[in-house]
Amino acid sequence: MGEWIRFWIVAVILVCAIAAFITETVGLFRFGFVMNRMHAAGIGDSFGLGCVVLSMIIASGLNLTSLKLFLLVLFMWLTSPVSTHFLSRIEINTNPFIFRHVRFDAGDGTHREEMKA
Amino acid sequence: MKNRFLDWLYKDQDLLSGITDVVEKPDISRSELKEIMRSAEEEYDNRPEVREAIGRDRDRFRSLYMIVALVSCIALTLVLLYTVGLTSNYGMENPRTLEVVRRYVEDGLQETGAVNIVSGMILDYRAFDTLGESHVLFTALICVMILLRIDSKNQRTEYEDYYKVQTDSYFDLSSDPILRLICAVIIPCILLYGIYILLNGQNSPGGGFSGGAVLGAGMILFSAAFGFDTVDRFFTLRVSNIITFVSLAFYSFAKGYVFFMGANGLDAHIPKGTPGAIFSGGLILPLDVAVGCVVGCTMFGFYSLFRRGNIGGRV
Repeated sequence: MGEWIRFWIVAVILVCAIAAFITETVGLFRFGFVMNRMHAAGIGDSFGLGCVVLSMIIASGLNLTSLKLFLLVLFMWLTSPVSTHFLSRIEINTNPFIFRHVRFDAGDGTHREEMKA
Repeated sequence: MKNRFLDWLYKDQDLLSGITDVVEKPDISRSELKEIMRSAEEEYDNRPEVREAIGRDRDRFRSLYMIVALVSCIALTLVLLYTVGLTSNYGMENPRTLEVVRRYVEDGLQETGAVNIVSGMILDYRAFDTLGESHVLFTALICVMILLRIDSKNQRTEYEDYYKVQTDSYFDLSSDPILRLICAVIIPCILLYGIYILLNGQNSPGGGFSGGAVLGAGMILFSAAFGFDTVDRFFTLRVSNIITFVSLAFYSFAKGYVFFMGANGLDAHIPKGTPGAIFSGGLILPLDVAVGCVVGCTMFGFYSLFRRGNIGGRV
């Protein structure tokens, strides 16, 4: 009985992960602007990967393998946002038409629509 | 930090000013743009003088290209077929090829003392091959240094200095607090993992090349996050030269001693140790460390030379 409960928990979480990965793939190919595509890729990298590793940890129980899996997802969650941050920074720095796509929050509740070059 | 970012973002003088003046892009789709470019090229090609100049050369070039391509394809096919015909038979038909493999697999643990048979092969049976590979890495580093190093005789021009300043402000990552914090957490783990791979080469998959690559990647990340000035405090050209020389010299002398003392390490008197322990496998562990040092120095040297033209310190 306990094995069946564990199996169904793992299955439900894996289905969630698959849904996240499908969302990621569709978004990556359907969006046109780079920031939107990065957001779509981030869904799979954070939520999908977390779900997969969580289900694997539940399936294998608490042992050395699950510790390694936890470390894997920890390092992935640490490093993946940093690379995304730099990609977006380069995009803001190098795209002169960034204000056609993005609206920046000026910090006081107002939005700054465009920048005069 | 947020205010600094916004200041930088909304200032009239942004990083782009001076390099690219913003030109209003007409609102056309990509296919329309392609069509316009294609028609412009066609129009250029259709001018009589251009047409005449291109036409003669193009016909001659095309016929020559066809002949050369045909001849080289046929020659390559013949050479490959001839080479395949020269190779010996494989599998059960030719027991000579199986002999070496069987010897490695069956007696490798006893003769080399390494649980990881691959390490036993590349650092004991075929150590001369690995020695050559290490020297190839060293030679590659020297060649890159000859080509790219900036010293007093090889200064940059004014234009290159301007270009360097502009690109460095673009791609300089070292002032970013996010990267610094993450790297302060990540880099010790990377270096520790590299050392683990390096020291466990005789017991588990890994060894000098992979461990050295991990160490070099950690150093590259360190220099990207904290700037080259931080790395220059402990890793200069002199340090790199000393590490590489000592590693290669130790490798050469140690392996030369074993080879001269007798075949298969019979009279070398190097203890094999218990298989599976850290200090086991005779010479494999120190040789792994030597190869890892060379690989790490080479990787970081490549990065540093390509990025700024020298290793450690200013000119």
